[in-house]
Amino acid sequence: MNRHWYNRIWANYKARLGIFIVFSFIIIATIGPIFFQDPNAFVDTPLLEPSFEHLFGTTGQGQDVFAQTISGARTTLFIGFLSGFLVVLLGLIVGSLAGFFGRRIDNILSLVINIFLLMPGLPLMVIIAAWLPPGPFSIMGVLVFTGWAWNARVLRSQVLSLRETDYVNAAIIMGESNLKVIIFQIWPQMLSLIIASFIGATVYSIGAQVGLEFLGLGDVDKVTWGNNLYWATNDLALLTGSWWTFVPTGLGIALVSFGLTLINYGIDEIANPRLLSERTLKAKLSGSYDRNGSTPVAKELYGK
Amino acid sequence: MENKILQINNLSVDFVSDDISKKAVKDFSIDINKNEIFGLVGESGSGKSTVIKSILRILPAPGVITNGEIKFENKDVLGFDEDELSSLRWSQISLVKQKALNSLNPLMKIKNQIIDTIRAHEKITNLDAIERCNYLMDIVEIDRKYLNNYPHELSGGMRQRVVIAIALVLRPKLIIMDEPTTALDVVVEKEIILKILDLKNELGFSLLFITHDLNLILSFADRIGVMLNGRLVDEDFTEKIKYGGNHNYTKKLIDSIPNISNYKQVRIDKNVTKLMEINSLQKIYNLNSSLFSSDKIHAVDGISFNINKNEILSLVGESGSGKSTISKILTKLIDYNNGIILFNGNNIAEISKNKDLLMYRKKVQMVFQDPFASLNSIHTVYHHLSRPILIHKSFSNYSKAERDAIIKEEIINILEEVDIRPAEDFLYKFPHEMSGGERQRISLARALLVKPDLLIADEPTSMLDMSIRMDILELLKNLQINKGISILYITHDIKSACYISDRLIVLKNGKIKESGDTANIISNPKDDYTKLLMNSCKSGWINKNQEV
Repeated sequence: MNRHWYNRIWANYKARLGIFIVFSFIIIATIGPIFFQDPNAFVDTPLLEPSFEHLFGTTGQGQDVFAQTISGARTTLFIGFLSGFLVVLLGLIVGSLAGFFGRRIDNILSLVINIFLLMPGLPLMVIIAAWLPPGPFSIMGVLVFTGWAWNARVLRSQVLSLRETDYVNAAIIMGESNLKVIIFQIWPQMLSLIIASFIGATVYSIGAQVGLEFLGLGDVDKVTWGNNLYWATNDLALLTGSWWTFVPTGLGIALVSFGLTLINYGIDEIANPRLLSERTLKAKLSGSYDRNGSTPVAKELYGK
Repeated sequence: MENKILQINNLSVDFVSDDISKKAVKDFSIDINKNEIFGLVGESGSGKSTVIKSILRILPAPGVITNGEIKFENKDVLGFDEDELSSLRWSQISLVKQKALNSLNPLMKIKNQIIDTIRAHEKITNLDAIERCNYLMDIVEIDRKYLNNYPHELSGGMRQRVVIAIALVLRPKLIIMDEPTTALDVVVEKEIILKILDLKNELGFSLLFITHDLNLILSFADRIGVMLNGRLVDEDFTEKIKYGGNHNYTKKLIDSIPNISNYKQVRIDKNVTKLMEINSLQKIYNLNSSLFSSDKIHAVDGISFNINKNEILSLVGESGSGKSTISKILTKLIDYNNGIILFNGNNIAEISKNKDLLMYRKKVQMVFQDPFASLNSIHTVYHHLSRPILIHKSFSNYSKAERDAIIKEEIINILEEVDIRPAEDFLYKFPHEMSGGERQRISLARALLVKPDLLIADEPTSMLDMSIRMDILELLKNLQINKGISILYITHDIKSACYISDRLIVLKNGKIKESGDTANIISNPKDDYTKLLMNSCKSGWINKNQEV
């Protein structure tokens, strides 16, 4: 248990599989689009089925679905991770200020957090997205604006409890400045929560972003996963039975979310060692262990 | 054989993990007779809780029983299936845990919790159930009206009585008590223990009593077992243990019970200069403040005292007496409502500039109670000890290498001063790689690095194991004698206060009950409460035949 948390995440097979999936997508999204000219170019007859020439077939506009899926991954993942990061950063700053200083600052910031939590998210997102000039960065702004409050609230409560610990008091009595106490004493202790929040926020951002673009609220000329789905619907993919226009994109979204969720599972097991020890025990006792049952007696384990 | 209710032979328990299995209990054997009180003593981590959880088979993952046998009335508990176990638990063996608040459901009335326990094991009509509740309340001496209250509406002592009542509800033959009084004040502790002894005589059950407090168990157990690192190192009749037992560790534990007559010899110092003056200090906490009403708690209620230069002053009081609030006020962690605090003649409420506050921080330092919580687990010893130097010293004329060399030298010096040797080996250790005593020395070193005038020590030994408490107390005493640091020693334990301090202040409910020179208070305590505290540290202070 003395190893560092990042070693323990890597040692967890769920987290490792998740990291593998997510990083594969990031690498594909980063270097993949270099090999394609223009994913929006008209390349062949519309609505061709998948073949060796066009791996995922062509769209109703005669574009290559493979090229569009890979190019779409770049924008969608970039905006998804960046919004996830900004959401957590904003939440962390507001939550830390509220939790650490307490009293009036906490009252004011908590009020703001609560107001944002009370606003209905989806309609607000739709309205703001329709009002802003369409484009990926507008969508990012919408996601951050409507999504930070929940993280702020979660992180605030964690700061609030760490604020009362003896080592924080000791640092204050030592004469350490408030900023340094927050950054060097409190934040490192809640790193696993911060990472978990980041992953959660990213999954949410990717989903919400695709959703908004699917509704046509993005810049429909850009190639993103959301727009791929938007055009697939526009071209009546379901009616014409051209499944290849939306399945690759849908699978991509599902796989990335799945990978991120796996990483979160891994972190969960580390933050809550009980889950891990139950799994280990089950493996050692070759399946005869029942987690709701009594303490097992395993004399045979030691050959006695 | 007939007389034995519980037999444990060669019990071994492992905590299984991927790479290493930790042996928590090794070859543990005891017998408990009918109607006997067996005391099991050990420090934290010695495996005593693991043993009792194994008896009931409620040890959570990753615990596995790997060897031995547990027999209850000659039936093999380790061979029981789930049904047999659930009829064993509570109706045959019940358990009273340390924190009563945690064993009671905060959302259920006391009555319903008792009835729930009965219903889990037998069918009973409502009327009979109420009858049983009333009976239980009577035998633990709580007014029947509290049956309709929620746990938080009862005091700590009453809650623990309720938990004992619930443990008795099915008339078990054996009751296991895991530190049932540790969270309680000594006075309440005494009442509860006497009540338990009463009930035992009346109802006739065996008692397995787990505690870390040897002095407490010596006063009422029939036999005592001593655990160390998962093994039972000593087991004998109480009388034998009292006179040193059969093992060196037992002797060490017996020796570490401070004797009240062993108080500090005060130097007669005519030139007393005041370091800190506290005048009618008051701190009020607002609870549940709503629009129309607010509950106020006077945590510190008009307290005045002085801390002189070069003395150790003890604040003695139980939880809720306001002693920790005072330490937080003096270290400027929290504000106070009324009163004046002068430090070297300057009012500390008027410190406004950051520079002045930093000066004050340099002069007044603090050591905390919990050595596990007062060091940040992600930083090394070097980091913890370099920060105070970097904050309070200016290194503008030095290069980075020179600076690091100076810091390292200072850290090594201070580590040797607090008896951490070899100091170099500890520089890059993380808190979890050190023992509780070592950690407490590191926190002490951190406080001493800035060469404070006043050191506030808030229960610095209460989380440590008995055998190393005395070392830390010695260390504090020598600091005052050799360096002339004033120490405000805050504790609930009047024994250690007498041992270490020049003057004593006894607090209760935010008010001063008695204050004066330690020797005077010991020889002639005036206040009843002080007398009670004094009595509580005599060995054998709980007399089985005595009324409360």
